[in-house]
Amino acid sequence: MTDNSINQTDAAPLLEVKNLGVSFFTPRGTVRAVRDASLTVRRGEVVGLVGESGCGKSTVAFSIMGYLPGIVQVDGEILYDGKDLVGMDESDLEALRGNRIAMVYQDPQTSLNPTMKIGPQMEEVLKTHLDLGKQEIRSRAIELFESVGLASPDTIGERYPHELSGGMQQRVVIALALACEPDLLIMDEPTTGLDVTTEATILDLIVDLKDRVNAGILFVSHNLGVIARVADRVTVMYASQTVEDADVRSIFNSPQHPYTAGLLSCVPKPANELGITPRLKSIPGSVFEARLEAGNECLFAPRCPIAHDQCTQNAPEISDTDGHRVRCFFPDEVTSDIWGELKPRRDFESEDDAVVIEANDLNVRYRSRQGKKYILFGDEAQPPVRAVVDASFKVTKSRTLGIVGESGSGKSTTARALIGLTQKSSGSMLLNGDELETDSANRSDDQRADLRMVFQNPTASLNPKLPIKHAITRSLKLFGNLDNQGAYDEARALLEAVGLNPDYIERIPSELSGGEQQRVALASAFAANPKAILADEAVSALDVSVQAQVLNLLLRNQQENETSFVFISHDLGVVRYVSDDIMVMYAGHVAEQGPADAVLSSPSHPYTEALLSAAPEPDPDATPSIIRLDGAVPTMRERFTGCFFADRCHRKIDQRCDEIEPPAQSGNSPDHIIRCHIPVDQLASQS
Amino acid sequence: MIQNTSAARSSFAQISKAIAPFTSAFKTPAGRIGLPLVLLHVLLAAFGSYLAPYSATDFSDATYVKPFTSAVDGAIPHILGTDQFGRDVFSRLLSGARSIILISGIGSILGVALGTAIGMTSGYLGGKADEIIMRVADGLMSFPSLLLALLVLSVSDSLMWLDGISSAFATGKESILVIGTMAVVHAPRVARVLRSATLTIKTQEYVDSARLRGESAYYIIFKEILPNALPVLAVEGSVRFSYAILLASSLGFLGLGVEPPSPDWGAMISDSRSILTRAPWVPLAPAAAVASLVVGVNLLTEGIRDAQKLPTELPE
Repeated sequence: MTDNSINQTDAAPLLEVKNLGVSFFTPRGTVRAVRDASLTVRRGEVVGLVGESGCGKSTVAFSIMGYLPGIVQVDGEILYDGKDLVGMDESDLEALRGNRIAMVYQDPQTSLNPTMKIGPQMEEVLKTHLDLGKQEIRSRAIELFESVGLASPDTIGERYPHELSGGMQQRVVIALALACEPDLLIMDEPTTGLDVTTEATILDLIVDLKDRVNAGILFVSHNLGVIARVADRVTVMYASQTVEDADVRSIFNSPQHPYTAGLLSCVPKPANELGITPRLKSIPGSVFEARLEAGNECLFAPRCPIAHDQCTQNAPEISDTDGHRVRCFFPDEVTSDIWGELKPRRDFESEDDAVVIEANDLNVRYRSRQGKKYILFGDEAQPPVRAVVDASFKVTKSRTLGIVGESGSGKSTTARALIGLTQKSSGSMLLNGDELETDSANRSDDQRADLRMVFQNPTASLNPKLPIKHAITRSLKLFGNLDNQGAYDEARALLEAVGLNPDYIERIPSELSGGEQQRVALASAFAANPKAILADEAVSALDVSVQAQVLNLLLRNQQENETSFVFISHDLGVVRYVSDDIMVMYAGHVAEQGPADAVLSSPSHPYTEALLSAAPEPDPDATPSIIRLDGAVPTMRERFTGCFFADRCHRKIDQRCDEIEPPAQSGNSPDHIIRCHIPVDQLASQS
Repeated sequence: MIQNTSAARSSFAQISKAIAPFTSAFKTPAGRIGLPLVLLHVLLAAFGSYLAPYSATDFSDATYVKPFTSAVDGAIPHILGTDQFGRDVFSRLLSGARSIILISGIGSILGVALGTAIGMTSGYLGGKADEIIMRVADGLMSFPSLLLALLVLSVSDSLMWLDGISSAFATGKESILVIGTMAVVHAPRVARVLRSATLTIKTQEYVDSARLRGESAYYIIFKEILPNALPVLAVEGSVRFSYAILLASSLGFLGLGVEPPSPDWGAMISDSRSILTRAPWVPLAPAAAVASLVVGVNLLTEGIRDAQKLPTELPE
């Protein structure tokens, strides 16, 4: 968030989308991907377009570019510099695209040609759009690489996309988009596929670009934290309509549409001044589907806590008060507590300190291939990858251990080793004091029943060809010794307990939404009352409102059944919300672990510090922290020495970091452990 | 009572799920031609011999009667004429449908079943077992199928133990051997395809969660993985069927199929190839029958494959 002294409202809009409607005619019927979207982008301004999946944000972005596949009907106007892009012929559009309007997509890997070096790809773009000599093109390419903060810009052109990390690839894509100094830059979830530390550096770049290039940026994202970080104005979409449009502070501080208020209250926030983490509120139900024809009603009314009779009888139009535009009849009634009162995260604290899960010096090594490279001949194969190194932790009754780290940090491997899907190499794992066999197949039914797992992708964790009751009833039959009828009845009860209609029981997974599928996965994990549940990124694939529902469901189950959880996520906000204890992992090593408060406060491991400062806060007034990490999580092989974090550490002290394994130091309390060479008091003072 | 209805519902659901690839294939252009063509042949196999207007085996004096003409005034016309022995070609065609469809059908079903079981087990187990099974399959696959069939058939007389089986099924030893050869020839090819499908499916999280429930390998392979491999299986089964038809008619052509004088399409072509110029309808009719069956099966395969790319219907 930077203050722009220019009064932006006075400048002529660069892009004006007015009452845009996009309908796709598919074999399965008409899909109203966009019903009524309006937004404005001015030069030097970042407009955030936010909403849950299926709300038509990306379709708006693509219709500005004119990239709409299939049989499609576009209504309304897209005015770019006063010219209507809707119905403009292809050759005129071609002249605008790439030249005046550029787009950055979500996945940099698919935007770059894997068979071409970076340099030629950039030169190709420059050659197509600009009339420059060979030498000028080359120097312009280097200039562009430099402007997006790529290290050694004069030689990076010699590299292939796969030689770059995800963050560097996305920088290249942004440089390509900037090549012709476009007036309008459209970014469709440009940081969604990236790790949080990389995301932070890309967001810095975008904020920086906004001040440097005289362009308007339309930034599409589902992540409110990211939007708060980069946007000047925010347009909120719901059910293919724009429902609110205002400057970023008004949106975050005084939302006037109940949906916006709901979205904001679904995002986990840090504890307030009293040290209480507020319980997440959730928006009931699911998004009004794009394939349904809207009647004369407010599309949000079925989920709205302040819906009046008028809302189901008339469709609200956008109204404008001092530049704050909102599609609601009763914007004055929207306050912070319409989605429920402020309550603490949970209303119990566990007193019982019986250890449920215990891991001692857990190690997992991945071997790409054993012995020689070609079975009998060739070099020795690469040394094994150290996926988890000496992880020791305990989870006591009805408490939650959160494991956080970037991708490649070994957190999922830890869970898979615990559950017995990945073979541990050494160390011991105990459940209720009993040793757990390495392989799930060798464990007793009781142990399997007591330790369950919820996977990340609900679509993949339910068999697409079998009715949803299958996973639940099988667990009940195997663990609860129920007969068919008993399991069937119990499965219905479980579905009801996770807030699903029990009549869904015969449906196949594809007939359910992602959130509903994850509830089924939870119901199947809750079957036969396990003592502990491992949740591996269990909410990462879900929309923020559904995520809140699922998180609250987990907490409720913990309260009712005294379940212990190991909760794994890359999202620090979510981990902070659910966890009593936190373990921060990096490249297979435990960087820091201990009670949640201790880990999240000073002193912390430099990596924890970097993670904390990289996590985008859904608050436009938050001052962005300056600690940034370059590069990506390395793969640790067997012969590695020194500190696991030395390569990327912003506080690296001396030779010790490269040569000696860091000692485990106690932080705030004996059970707060930091693995770092820097003495604890210095860790505390400098941060 | 509730139990019964739900059991009935689920068995109905299972059947409709199993034939789903075929019903959805009918929605594609290729399937719309292929499926009726194959069904027609199957119906001919079942009822053709009862529809035949003349005897399929009895000689008569009316040799070389042209198609659509009657040998004697007032008699039923010979739709496809008669051959050099005065037998009605159309009747022989109808009667011959059964043997080829039965032999190639049973042969490919056995081969597909065997191959599916082997391939899925191999893929699911992985590691050394997979390596060994697949190398054996490679070895079997390197054998030309026709040659293998000829080899097996040439020693059929010495296989005494087959007498019991062939008399139990009231059929010749040759048919049993041809079916057995088809199964052995097709199994490794099917196994290969199903193995690769299994390798993809077994990494899915629902397979992991089945393992975490402590399900047996047998249960996971056939209950969790097989339904998801069904589309692949349908295409593969259909491809195998068309190869089986070709193998069966090739063997018939070489005189190793059904024993004369019972009609066999391959043998019919072979017997009449010398009169190709004099009475072209006699060899052409069975050739066209084989071709239309193979084309029908191939179109059906195409249809099944295309149907998998169609968007699935939205739930109500």
